[in-house]
Amino acid sequence: MGTIITVTSGKGGVGKSTTTANLAVGLANLGQKVVAIDFDIGLRNLDMILGLENRIVYDVVDVMEGRCNLSQALINDKKAKNLYFLPASQTKDKDILQRDKVKELLTALKESFDIVLIDSPAGIESGFEHSIFLADRALIVSTPDVSSVRDADRVIGIIDAKSEKAKNGEEVEKHIIINRIKPEMVEAGNMLSIDDVLNILALPLIGVVPDDEHIITATNTGVPVIYKENVQAAESYRRIARRILGEEIEFVNIKAKKGLFGALKGIFR
Amino acid sequence: MSFFERIFGKKQSSAGIAKDRLTIMLAHERVDCKLPYLDDLRNDLIAVIKKYTSVDDVKITSHSNKSIDMLEVEIVLGKQ
Repeated sequence: MGTIITVTSGKGGVGKSTTTANLAVGLANLGQKVVAIDFDIGLRNLDMILGLENRIVYDVVDVMEGRCNLSQALINDKKAKNLYFLPASQTKDKDILQRDKVKELLTALKESFDIVLIDSPAGIESGFEHSIFLADRALIVSTPDVSSVRDADRVIGIIDAKSEKAKNGEEVEKHIIINRIKPEMVEAGNMLSIDDVLNILALPLIGVVPDDEHIITATNTGVPVIYKENVQAAESYRRIARRILGEEIEFVNIKAKKGLFGALKGIFR
Repeated sequence: MSFFERIFGKKQSSAGIAKDRLTIMLAHERVDCKLPYLDDLRNDLIAVIKKYTSVDDVKITSHSNKSIDMLEVEIVLGKQ
């Protein structure tokens, strides 16, 4: 039985899809059988980040409405053979997903995959609710700025309220990913540090990804940055993937030593 | 913050300001989240108080520490 992990944030544009794509590849390269699902109905993006946009025939709504079967809609990644991708539908109606259909689909995927990685839409509307309600774990992506942290806090507050796991008395395991940190700005006191964000959100850290131009070029070409060697952001993603599987590894040293040391203490606590 | 800035009491770093603003904002929002009935409670209280006085507003503040969550209801009667 696989694990459902939802990548979410509240605020849009903080790097959810990029995170999902890179972690999907990372986990697949660690030998996990992974399926990445884009739940951002109407604003499909994960396909381009994974470089699979030309291979889409059917999407998640086609599967749910029975226009095709699951195996027809699943796209096998070009490079990571353990990775499959289920694209969002580009229909205008973003509220088209139905709870029982979502449940049916996710239950079926859980049977045949080790990890079901869901890219949640921004916001706290029905799309978000569908992507969280069967989640075993949630990765909350936040950039170190006031709007993103505020929205992350709000989302953290409602995850358990919307989750089936919480209804059964269990808790959704939650971790923070701090994205796009600029160590020079943190050191100059002009950006919230890792410690600042963690103190406010009061959840354990699972990864810090530096602001890195390689991510933009990777998205341009449709080859996730995690494949690159000697790139800080790629190393960050590789380590997050291993931490998701329970390994305890050091955080990438992104210059801001003090902040990272605190973060390190946080996770080994 | 540099040594000189500290000496001359120059302005706080922008990250520090961000942190303070967020902490205050979230303290408020989390209470709203935890006590969704607050508005209804306030309206009910006002209805009762109006029966006996001419007051038409109450101030409800919430406090919490490690061991207890508390609501403080303040009714200002004014001077007759």
